Order: sequence, then structure tokens, then C-alpha cells
Amino acid sequence: MVKRPSNDLALCGECHQEIAANYRKSLHYTTIGQRNRVIKRMSKEEAKIFDEKVFEKSCRSCHASCGDCHVKSPAIAGVSLGLINKHKFVRRDEGKTCAFCHGGRVYPEYTGEYGGNADVHYQKGMMCMDCHTMDELHGDGKAYQLKEEVRDRPRCTDCHEPGREVKLTARVGHLKHAQNASCYACHSAGEYRQCFNCHGGHSEAKPGFYIGTSPRNRREITTLRIIPTVRDTFKPYGIRQANFDALPNYWDAPIHNIRKRTERTRNCDTCHEDRKGFLTMETLLKDSSRVNLELIKKPKPIPVSP
Amino acid sequence: MVNAKRKVMVSLLALLLLLPAAAFAAEPFVTTEWLEANLSKVTVLDVRKVEEYNEGHIPGSINVFYGVWGIKKGVLLNELPSDDDLKDILSAAGIEPTTHVVVVSKAETMPFRTDATRVAWTLRYAGVENVSVLSGGIEKWIADKKPLSKEAVKPKAKPYRGKFNKQFFANKAQVTGALGKAVIVDVRPPEFYKGEKKLDFVPATGRIKGAVNLPPALLYNADGTFKTKAEIEAAAKPVVGTDLDKEIIVYCDTGKVCTNWWLALHDLLGYRNVKVYDGSSMEWLADPAAPKEP
Repeated sequence: MVKRPSNDLALCGECHQEIAANYRKSLHYTTIGQRNRVIKRMSKEEAKIFDEKVFEKSCRSCHASCGDCHVKSPAIAGVSLGLINKHKFVRRDEGKTCAFCHGGRVYPEYTGEYGGNADVHYQKGMMCMDCHTMDELHGDGKAYQLKEEVRDRPRCTDCHEPGREVKLTARVGHLKHAQNASCYACHSAGEYRQCFNCHGGHSEAKPGFYIGTSPRNRREITTLRIIPTVRDTFKPYGIRQANFDALPNYWDAPIHNIRKRTERTRNCDTCHEDRKGFLTMETLLKDSSRVNLELIKKPKPIPVSP
Repeated sequence: MVNAKRKVMVSLLALLLLLPAAAFAAEPFVTTEWLEANLSKVTVLDVRKVEEYNEGHIPGSINVFYGVWGIKKGVLLNELPSDDDLKDILSAAGIEPTTHVVVVSKAETMPFRTDATRVAWTLRYAGVENVSVLSGGIEKWIADKKPLSKEAVKPKAKPYRGKFNKQFFANKAQVTGALGKAVIVDVRPPEFYKGEKKLDFVPATGRIKGAVNLPPALLYNADGTFKTKAEIEAAAKPVVGTDLDKEIIVYCDTGKVCTNWWLALHDLLGYRNVKVYDGSSMEWLADPAAPKEP
């Protein structure tokens, strides 16, 4: 008896040759994106320790085999949520296939169960695979090192072509902010999961809402999510993170709680006067990375014509 | 003279046009048998999660998840969306003021049962005149071996132009003004009403000063179906009285559960001036200055 037959991609590949071949290189399987993101905080020596003691035994051990998505949920934080549909293979059941792993972030925001506002796409009956493609999940055969390298990820503008808005105010607003604000910055409907205090793997999750400069595109304001790696997160492994300040503690995050109208689309002053939700010196994580300071953005008041 | 005759004729014609609508005032709670027999005449609105709907639903039903109708506003849960958002939701669902909507949710627990009544109240508030809730929810439909479909129905969007019934809604200031005049009905289990218990997200124990108690259990049978009109009336009358014009304000913890009694009092028993206090205990009991007891 083989305990986890689908851990062997070759076995699934007997029938699903292309999918299995691609999947071997996909980010879902290799989880290399997680390693490559955090490793920049470390010296070369520390990176070696990280690979051996943390990545292989922690992140990498949680890679998704075929069965983890199509038969049974993987153990997440020591909790196994069981079979998806008795013991039958499930082609797709996004509420389980995707939500078991993405149930901390994304899925509960999408359904409104976390922050309190369901995404407009969920309202219209759309699930994960209505935007995300099979290639995105199984991989397209290229061994990407980071999620951002994948070109064909869904974009809002794939369906919502700018310039076709019915209302003039919406058209003007989109035109004005096209180069300097992400869609999420205005259309994220509310609070989303933020995790704090990651000392030795422990973290407290609270709903929150943050806007600031994107660490990946300094010209853009967007929604940010706290990445709570603190200076002593990997201390138990002898890693002090020599380059801790090379990365911020906030990453740009495509929040899945989109609504047509939000506080910010209703009133320009929400950002330009009140700066509601914007990252500030006061709200910044204490003793966090110095590069976080670069993410604080102060929108200018809108000039009033004399 | 001719003009007077014409006026009378026009008035009579208008009255005749109104008659079918009045005669068709929907029963607030319908059985699975009734729904099966009337499927082609109504819009079935399934408010379960999209995944649950996709696994099997009443044939022809459309799906708009509960969380779209009852949202979080600040710290308050299960609040009304703003009117323009509500119009968008109705427009996308293709619901018109004249559509007879039957709302279907799960019925295994009180929160699921009242997903349906809260959506029904929201529809009535938005100006949809004929709204019903499926008694016993989807579980009763399945238990009765009625047909299920896995074919998702995409509603045809239509601009919603209903006239909102603002008198169905009460805010905190209105409740304050109604103290001592209206019948304030606490629709929570007796131990909550008595101040012995509270839910975690409610800031304090207690009730609105002068409130009477009409627990939700009095409305339902064990299987989640609604009790008969006679049983409901017998439970309600000693608590709210018999004056059908008296102002009644119902509330619970978040403003969701109490919508079951709103439907029962207003649409079933004919009390004409019933409001839902949307902020409910979450808002009232957070204010030290708001009159409360015990």
C-alpha cells in the first residue's frame, strides 16, 4: 500500500503526462517563491542554513501534491481538513481545492467572511477558476522563481477595459489614477487579513486595511499586506538575518474583496484629505525593516480652483 | 360632465389594474409543495455560498450569496448595504419590484435560517412587494425528494427602479425616540433578554429599556420549518398586543435574526408599522448612555 500515491508525480503522469511534467516545475509544487522572497534578508551562510533547516523541513514539506488539491486537503499548520469528496478524485472544487490552502487569506476575503464585504465577482457567482487559469495552477512548463515572473496572471483590465465606463466621474477617476494607483487601492472594499508578531512562527491575525507605495513599483499606490517576519523570526535556527532591512514588512497585495463603490470611490477626500487607511509613521510596525519608511505615502490635497 | 365621467373611468381602470397585484400579495412563508407547483411563476433566490449552490440547487434558482446583502459597517455586522449598492445587487440579479422572489437558505441552524429572512426583509425594504421564504430551507426541499439541478443560472441584469420602504428600518435615534411609545421587541433567547448571557461580539449583557421578549424558537418547528399562522399568532399577540397600527421595533444581536419576526408580524399577521433596528444590541449596548436593563 502506498500511503500518498500522488506524491509521485510520475504516477499521475502516466495518464496526465503534460500536466505532471509542468507541475513538477510549478510554483505550487516547488514553493520556491517563498524561499526566494525571504532569502534576500540573509547572508550567503545564513541562506544555506535556511535551506537545510527551514525551507526543506517547513515550507518545502508543504508543497501541494496532485492529491492535496484533488483528493484530500494537506495538513495546514498541523490541521488536516480531510477528504474533499469522500474518496473520489475531484476535478475542481474551488471552495475546497483552493480554499483549504488559501483559506487564511484570499478565500475568506473573497466570500466576505473575514472583512465583511463579499467580492462583487463572488456576488455574481464567480469562483477562482473564472479568472485564474489551469496553466497558472499547474504551471506552464517554465521553472519560475517568483510569482511575479508569471506573465499571464489575471488582471482587472482583462475584462474591464478602461475608457468604457458609463459614468463620466468613473472615466475621469480611472484616467487620473491609471499610472499611480492600483485598482485594489480604490476598489478593495474593506479590511483584510493582516498578521503581526511573527516570532518563532507565532503570529496574531487581525483584520486591517493599509494603503501605501508598492515595494515593487514605487510610482504606484496600492493595498499592502503585513509580512510579519521580524528580526528574530529565524533566531532558533541561528539565522539573525544580516540583510533584514533589504526587504520591507509590507508587500503589495491583490486583495480579493472588490466592490464597485468604496469609501475611496465615493469621496476623493478619503485619500486626499483624511488619508484614511494610509500607512503612517504611527501605524508602522514597531522595530520593523527600515525600508518600510519608503512605503509611506502622503497624497496631496486636491487643489481648489480660485 | 364628460370630463367627470372620464375621470371616474380612469379611476376604475387604475383600480382594476391594481387588483391583481393586491390579490397576489405573497405569503411570507411557503412550503416545498407550493414552491414546486409555482416554480415557473417566481424567482427563486438561493443565498447560500456559491460553492454550495453549484453542488445542487432548486432548478432555475439564481444565486446571490448572503454576505452581499448583509455587510459589515464599521464594527457592526449584518448591516444594510447603501441604497445604490442595493440597487446594483438587485439589478445584477434581474429582480424587479414586481418580481415574486422566494428566498432559499440552509435551515439547519438559526443563523442560516435567518439568512433567508434577512434577505427577504432587505428585498421588502428595497421595494420588492412579493417576497417569500422557503419554509425548512434547502434541507426540506432535499428531504422531500424534490428535483435538484447543477446547472448554474445566470440572471439577466435589469436596472432596478423600486421605491424603497424606508419605514421598515429604524436607526438608533429613532429607537431612542420611540422608547415608552412603541413596542420594542427583543428577539433573542430568554437568557440573552434577561442579561444572563451574551455573544462575544456584543459589547455587554442586557436589553433595551422596556423591551419585551419574543424568542425566535417560537417561530420554528424542530426541522426548521415555520409554525402555522395560528401558532405564530398565539405566540405574538400576548407580547405585542392586538393593535395592528401600533409601532413595533424588533431587534436582536446584529439585526439579522429579528427579521424572522419582522416577516411574521408584518407580512403574515398584518401589523402595519413594524421596523427592524439594524444596529441592534451591538450598537445599543456599546453606548453607556443608551437606556438599558436589567
